[in-house]
Amino acid sequence: MSKQNSRSIAASLATAACSLLGTSTISPVQAQEEPDWDFNTALLYYGESDNRVQDFSLNVLARRIYVDDRILSLGLTVDALTGATPSGALPFDGPQTFTRPSGKATYTTAPNEIPLDDSFLDTRVALTAGWQQPLARLYSINAGVSASKEYDYVHLGANAGLARDFNKRNTTLSLGVAYSQDSLNPEGGAPVPLSAMLDVGDLSNRMGDQDKDVVDLVLGLTQVVSRDLLFQFNYSLSQSSGYLTDPFKFLSLVDPVTGDPVSHTPAPGERGPSHENRFESRPDERTKHSVYGQAKYYMSGKVLDLSYRYMTDDWEIDSHTLEARYRWPFGDRSYLEPHVRWYTQTAADFYRISLVDGAPPLEFASADYRLGEFDAITLGMKYGWTTRSDNEMSVRLEYYMQDGSAPSDQIIGNQVGRELYPDLDAIIAQFSYRF
Amino acid sequence: MLNSRAGKSALIAFLLAVMASGCSSMGVEPWERDVLAKEEMQLTTDPVEAGIDDHIYFSKEASSGGRGFGGGGCGCN
Repeated sequence: MSKQNSRSIAASLATAACSLLGTSTISPVQAQEEPDWDFNTALLYYGESDNRVQDFSLNVLARRIYVDDRILSLGLTVDALTGATPSGALPFDGPQTFTRPSGKATYTTAPNEIPLDDSFLDTRVALTAGWQQPLARLYSINAGVSASKEYDYVHLGANAGLARDFNKRNTTLSLGVAYSQDSLNPEGGAPVPLSAMLDVGDLSNRMGDQDKDVVDLVLGLTQVVSRDLLFQFNYSLSQSSGYLTDPFKFLSLVDPVTGDPVSHTPAPGERGPSHENRFESRPDERTKHSVYGQAKYYMSGKVLDLSYRYMTDDWEIDSHTLEARYRWPFGDRSYLEPHVRWYTQTAADFYRISLVDGAPPLEFASADYRLGEFDAITLGMKYGWTTRSDNEMSVRLEYYMQDGSAPSDQIIGNQVGRELYPDLDAIIAQFSYRF
Repeated sequence: MLNSRAGKSALIAFLLAVMASGCSSMGVEPWERDVLAKEEMQLTTDPVEAGIDDHIYFSKEASSGGRGFGGGGCGCN
């Protein structure tokens, strides 16, 4: 068997193992002679403009393919994260001082700048292990575990799936379930939702570590239509419960007439925030429904990959994602692959750009830009080639841009004309090597 | 008719039946899988890259999953 052929089988099998249990792929039916390791590695740089988040990441996925299409897969990801991230507070025409999330120090934002929390420095290590094998003639099963650790966050997860082929293996139905238990341990403790940002050293509004659980269910249908066309349809249900609030995000408390942040004077001899801020508060339940469709079409050597996802949830967020890739081979051993992705979402029903002083208290409020209304576009290009020793390499460069806006009915007084929504520009650069 | 629950159920059953019969008439014979077996025709050609993208967009947008599990897994900022 040629190395190229064995690669195809490995790719198809690993797709089922690693692209998650609900998405079994149509794999070619061929025998494997002997176990073989396949390493898929990538170095990634993700960098946001304006000194926001930077991530250097090493990714390794090792797969051992045994006879009878049994596959063991082991994954490792190490992320080194630095940079600043929008805190949720509004910009204003004077400097603003904030207490750091740890409660141990302060930082100051210049006038008219969107407040960024620059105390973000973390290393994340994530491990995955998965097993997949055929069961009887037409079934396959898979199971996996995952774990990740950051300075203040621990994730543990498990998943399992079952797939059955029909119709000469042209149709595959699959079912996957996953359970994830995450633990948040922010330094100083997670703040009480909607409590005030306090002076340095005052941790009386902290409530210690928090947990959240996520249960996912994915139902999938894969259909071969013809020699060169196949489809995938998925329905996903995701149920999160527990502490879904971001312990580092907060909202400015603003004057109902001027829209400027209300001043705060730290206690005598203490350092603390210059203005009033309130920690955000999210519901402790979230249910998401998604439908996903993907088509792959082969056109005399070129491959078009189209996908669409619709998501809706009980936080009133609806989103649409359209994605296209076009793989364009040239020569025997290389290809170019342009990529475009378009995304749009509506705001969560509790998304607020600020809290208004004196207004009736709200149960939930968040100024996290990721819960606001925005559009995003990704444009990218990948160049891949096969080396003389039949290993595969690729480089890709992508540009990701978010463009959002604050809800006009929430803009008050002097806020008019200010840049209230933190738009995002990021570069994704990746080098991959498979051997 | 569509206002009644029975009517909706009948319509759904009809659509499922059409889809099922449609699916059974689609497809290829086992010896016609040469193109489908190509690496570039797999639904996920590069699982590592797919994982990277899922992680980026999970961290920066309010949606996740669809292709696979949405899951948790990081306290992403």
